[in-house]
Formats: sequence, structure tokens, C-alpha cells
Amino acid sequence: MTNILLLEDIAEASAWLKVQAAEVFPDAIFHDASRVNAALAIIAKVQLDVALIDLGLPDGSGVDVVSALREAQPKVQAVVVTIHDDDDHLFPALQAGAFGYLLKDQTGAVIVDQFRRMSQGEPPLSPAIARRVMAHFASRSSQRERPKSVPHVVLTDRENEVLLRVAKGYTLPEIAVQLNLSRHTISDYVKQIYRKLNVSSRAEAALEAQRLGLFGRGRRAVQPHAL
Amino acid sequence: MPVCPARAAQGPVVRAWRLAFVFLAALGSIASSLAANSAEAPRLIIDHALAVVSGEARFPSSEPATEVSLPDHWSQSRPGSGGGVWYRAGFKFAGTVPADDLVAVYVERACSNLQVHLNGALIFSGGRMQEPVTRNCSRPQLIALPPALLRAQDNVLDFRVQGHPLDRVASRQAAGGLSRIEVGQQSSLTQAHAARLTWAGKWIEASSLILIGLGCVLIAVGWLNSREVYFSYAGWLCLAWAVLSLAAHARNMPWRNDVSEFMLCSSWAVLLAIAVQFFLSFAGLRSRVIENLVALQWVLLPLSLVLAGADWLFVLALSWYFLLALELAFVMGIYLVVTRRQRPQDFGPMALVIAAGGLTLLSELAVQTGLLEPPPVSVGEVVVPLLFAAVGMRLFLMFARALRATELDRNQLSAQLQRLTAEFDVRVEQLTAQRVEQFTERERKRIASDLHDDLGAKLLTIVHTGDAARVPQLAREALEEMRLSVRGLAGKPVRLDDALADWRAETIVRLGQAKIEALWEHPDNGVSSTLPARVFMQLTRILREAVSNVIKHSGAGRCEVQCTVADGSLRVMVKDDGRGIAADLHRGQGMSSMKRRAKKLNGQCLVESRPGYGVVISLTVPL
Repeated sequence: MTNILLLEDIAEASAWLKVQAAEVFPDAIFHDASRVNAALAIIAKVQLDVALIDLGLPDGSGVDVVSALREAQPKVQAVVVTIHDDDDHLFPALQAGAFGYLLKDQTGAVIVDQFRRMSQGEPPLSPAIARRVMAHFASRSSQRERPKSVPHVVLTDRENEVLLRVAKGYTLPEIAVQLNLSRHTISDYVKQIYRKLNVSSRAEAALEAQRLGLFGRGRRAVQPHAL
Repeated sequence: MPVCPARAAQGPVVRAWRLAFVFLAALGSIASSLAANSAEAPRLIIDHALAVVSGEARFPSSEPATEVSLPDHWSQSRPGSGGGVWYRAGFKFAGTVPADDLVAVYVERACSNLQVHLNGALIFSGGRMQEPVTRNCSRPQLIALPPALLRAQDNVLDFRVQGHPLDRVASRQAAGGLSRIEVGQQSSLTQAHAARLTWAGKWIEASSLILIGLGCVLIAVGWLNSREVYFSYAGWLCLAWAVLSLAAHARNMPWRNDVSEFMLCSSWAVLLAIAVQFFLSFAGLRSRVIENLVALQWVLLPLSLVLAGADWLFVLALSWYFLLALELAFVMGIYLVVTRRQRPQDFGPMALVIAAGGLTLLSELAVQTGLLEPPPVSVGEVVVPLLFAAVGMRLFLMFARALRATELDRNQLSAQLQRLTAEFDVRVEQLTAQRVEQFTERERKRIASDLHDDLGAKLLTIVHTGDAARVPQLAREALEEMRLSVRGLAGKPVRLDDALADWRAETIVRLGQAKIEALWEHPDNGVSSTLPARVFMQLTRILREAVSNVIKHSGAGRCEVQCTVADGSLRVMVKDDGRGIAADLHRGQGMSSMKRRAKKLNGQCLVESRPGYGVVISLTVPL
């Protein structure tokens, strides 16, 4: 039995997504939500396994739901489902802790294939996203003044190597061959990169909030959903 | 005791000067109306005296005396001689003197210095009687006679005069001599004495001070306006004149009279040089030759005086005065001519000033040559400061007018500038609006063309298609078209490196999913060009279309993509080993859209194919 949160405001798309998801998880129980608030309520009540989250919603952004989910149920696989394919939309979601993303306009077969691979632990990573991740860590490492309370997240050489190759347009299977590693190991690196991106981004946000004197308020805003 | 009787007689020339003098006195003295009283008071005029040439301290009774008439000009009565002369005159003062008054002697001129004895007792001394003799030539003396020494009947007045011969002085006024002498009530003589003292002393001092102030201000103005150098010259002229007239009236000098006279004469060269420079610069002229000549005079004049010796001082000085006067007249003439032609508004007032100055000059020259009796007051010393002040005032007026004109100009200019700026702003605004309009129009056309040609065509196909199964695919393509259009609008420029990486990843994944063997080649690095977002989008579409064609229609097992950058162009070649183009009808539309897009980028898209031998698509676009 798999508990799936489905946050999507268009009924047809929601129904279509359910069909595709059922292909991957035949025993799925869907918890539907069409608004951010409803999704947050579900997160507070139900122990979830997978979350399919649309970004543009009538009462807010799916990114907030991704963050809340990350806080409350860190083990849940949060997958962003969106019409936007540009990294300006995807990168914030990944920073918030999304594990991957699906583009709604792809054919059912492609969606199912990508979704299956994600559920098996192989996260998607486009060159544009890889470049954004690299830029993110490069700018963080150049920051010298950093309070000790904020963890300093750095990528390992191998992770950097993988990112660099993705940025150059190589696919994960190709990189596995190039580095003489299994596809599973490469996937682990990518997952690790996503995790670090999330940790680093949250530390960054906390630091920023502290700097602006908003730390307490930011925490309180998150906590009610966590409890 | 030989005594000359006093006579009340006056020559016509003297009377003429006296008239002028009274006029000046009226100007200088507020009590001039009291002058009428002097006619009633008893007054004696001593115009004859016994003269003895002697330097002794008392009247040398033993020496033979000669009778002379007063005024006694040494240049006429004893030319060439200087030193001391004793004059003796006896008088009987008949009038009654009120209790509150004294009997006094009024000596209009005793040059250079005077001592007076009454009945053998010294009652007055004007200063040093030895060299350097006190210079009292221009100073009238009013000496009260002590009542104790005054006898009822015969009184003897002895005048000891120390003077210089005309030959050894630089002006006739400095030559030795004794004027007529008046005896009367002190109160009745004071008028004449005070008036003369005013013009010969106080006027000089006051006008000099004023001229010094005026000169300093003019020099400052000239210094601040280096183009209007005549301000400075006028200032220096004022200063020089003030110094010269003060020096000429200084009574006690630390050196011999010869030296004083020599210096006074020499300074005229300086004064002339400044005057010449002033007139030339005021006329807007400049001559190096004249400048050098007048400067040379600074040396020549004193040198000639030294070489000629002290006995020739007056003759030489007189010649120099004529020469300098000629030079000045010449330069003033030039000035008037030029001014009349170029600045007629200046001509009138300046001609008046120059005429007055010329007349003064002529009268002074006439006095020096002896054609005219020396007036009681030097005309030059009275008139010249007035002329200088007039010129100075005129200069200030000019300056003030120029300032006002400048201010007006500046106001006009700033107003004009403001107007121009406003105009410019309006123009820029219009231009910007026009540009924005143009740009908006162009973008509108582009978006319209994008939506029409690409999205519209796709949607139309959906409308017309009879095959319901194809609708989702067509809709997906329409969505893709829209996405690209939007991104082409808002996107940032993309580095060619990144673009190639994106294309590679997408192409490899898509071909991989379609189980087609993919081969991709692109320059590893060194490609530093950037692609505008729109170009990137169009290229992405073309490549995507090409790969779609391979996947959907070619039936190929292998696809090769080569990207090369050469000669400022990007070349992309997509080659498959499928069944070729003639076998499929649908490919025609895709091809034409690819070609259209390439054309929009000023590039071209070539398709080579033969049935059974696959398709080669060559895309070339300038970077």
C-alpha cells in the first residue's frame, strides 16, 4: 500500500496523473488536494510515501508544500509535476527538497517510465539544472564569513565530477560508463547532491532570515505543519 | 636806515591771477563771503625792498644794498645766483588794531625758505636755511607781529630768503624769489592765506589720498581682468601722480635740493610712459616700438640730466617737458582718432578730458617758459587729479556696464539653455516613445507570426484531424511551440557551450528512449559565443524537429549529430540511416518549418536524401 499525495488543481490532469501513477504503484491510495492549504492539512494527518506536487496553484506555490513535506516527513519522495520545463521554476523546487520533476505534457509512456525510474531511486538531472547546482555551491564556497551554527555544505570531488559531466550534456548512464561506476552509484551521487542542495539551501535561508532578523518568525511559520 | 615805502599798486596780470585765485578760494573756503571785509581793513602792500646778497644770520647793514621791486624773481633780477638774500622794508602801520587782533605779515611766496626779523629780532623761521634747505616755495606764510616789538612809528622788517637759481631747479615755481608782502590785521589776511594753503597743501594731500585709493582699486580691477589692461595703467597713473605731487610738496628732504629736483624731473618720464600705455591700451592698440621708446626715456632723461650737470637742469628739463608733452599729445591724438572711429560713445567725454588736460599742459608749459606769470596755485595740481578722477569714474562706469551686460547675457544664456534642455527632453521623450512603439510593433509582429505560423498551425491541425488518437500528440507539440515562443521573449542569452550540452542531453535521451543508437560530436570547449535566447529557442526547435523526424519517420537504427563552429557560423548536421525522404509524405511539412526557422536566423537548412540511404540535414546559422 502506497500513500500518494496528489496536489493538482486541474481535474483532468489529476485524473490523468492518477492513471499514470497507478501504472507504477498498483496499490496506491491517493490523497487529492487542489490547494496548498489542503495539501498541508493532508501532510499533517497522513503518513505519506510519495507526493506529486504541481507548482502553480490558486492559493500559492507547490514549493511551499515541498518545504513543509521535507520538514514533516523527510522520507517522502516529493516529485514536482509541472508544465514549466525551465530551471527558473525547477531549481527552487529542488532547493526546497524535491527529489525530481515530471513534465505534464509528455506522453503517458514517458511519464510512467520517468516516474518508475525515480521511484527506484534514479533522480532526473538536466544540464541546465546541473549548472545551477554548480553555481549554487560555487557561490557558497566563496562566502568566507559564515557563523558556526550554519553547517557548511560542500560537494565531494566525485559529486562535482558527476555534476560537471551532466552539465556538459552527458546522460547518467553515459557518466556511469565514463567513470567506471554502476548506474546505481551514480544515482546515489545525484541523490546526495539533491540532499546537499536542500540542506545548503535551508541553511542559506536560515542564515538570510537571521541576518534580516526574521529567524523566529520563519521557524514558527514552519512548525505548526510539522507538528 | 634805508627803507622803501610801501605802495598799493597792482599790475594787470597779477590782478587776473588774483581773480582766478579768489574764485578758487571761493570754491575751497566756506567763509568766502567774508572776503569782502578785507577791503575795509587797513592793509599795506610792500612792493619795494632793499636787497643785500648775504648768507649771514643778521641783516648785513655794512654791505651795500640795492633797491628791488617785489615780487623779486631771482631768475630775472640776479640770474644764475642762489644762496641767501636779505630784504629790508620799513613800514608805518597807521590803522588801529582791535584788542582781539594782531598785526601780521602775509608772504605769499618765499622760495625756498624764509626767516623774518622785526626791528632786529627774529620772529619767524620756516625751517632749515642751509642745505638741504626746507622747501617752502608753494607754502604761503602768515606771520603775526608780536605787539611788544611793534613800534608806533617806523618799523623795520627784514626777510632772509634762502633760494636756488632757476638753472638748478626743474620748474620755475622752485626758483628762488620773494613775492609782494602784505601787512595788515591778522584776521583780514587769514582768508587769503587759508585759501592758498588749501589749494597748495590740503588739496594736494586730499586728492593724493583719493587718487591712491582710486589707483589701487583700478589696479585690482585690471589685475582681475587681464584683458582690460588699461584699468591697471589708469591705476598706476593715479598712484604715480599722487606720489609725485606729494613728493613735490614735501618740505624736508634728506638730500640736497639738486637731488630732489633731479628726481622730480626724472619721474616725469615714468608718468609719461604710463600715460602713453594707458591711452594706447584704452584705444585697443599696442606697439612694441612705442613701449620700448617710452621705457628708454626712463633711462635717457635722468642720464641726460646727470651728463649735463646741475647748472643745466632747468634748460634740459624744459626741453624734456616739451618733448614729453609732444609725445603725450601725439598719443592722445592717436587715441582720439581711434576712439572716434571705433567707440564713438567714448569720444565725447574723453575728448573733453583730453582738451582740459591739453589746456592745463599748455598753461603749465607757458608758465615754465616764463610766458605766463606763475599762478598762485599750480593749475596742473588742481586740474589733473580731477581729470584722473573723471577718467577713473568713467572706467568704473564702463566696468559696471560690462558687468551688467554680462549678467544680462548670462541670464539670457541660461534661459536659452533651459529652453533647449526642455526641448531636448521633449525630443528624447518623443524619440523614446517612438522607439518603444517601434520595438513593441516589431515584437507584436514577431509574436503574431510565431503564434500564427507555429502554434496556430498546430491547433488548426488538431481542429482538422480526423484521427482522434493524434490529438494529444498535436496538442503537446502546440504546447511546446507556446513554451518556446514565451521563452524566446523573456530568456537570457545562452552560452553556446551550455546550449550544446542541453541539446546533447536531450537528443541522446530521446534517441535512447526510441532505441536508436546515438552519436553526438561537438567542440569540447573554446566556444565562447553566446546565443540570444530567441536564436537558442529556434535552434532548439529545429534540432528537436529533426530528431523527431528521425524517431518518428526514418526507421533508422542509428543517428549521428555533428556540431561544428567555423568562420563565425554554427553548423549542425543530423544524419540517419533510415529509409530516406521520398518514402514518407509527412516529412515535407516538418522540413519546410525547419527551413523557415533557419531563414529567420539568417541561416539555411539543407536536406539531402535518397530513398534507402537515409537523410542528411545540414543547418548553418551565423553566430
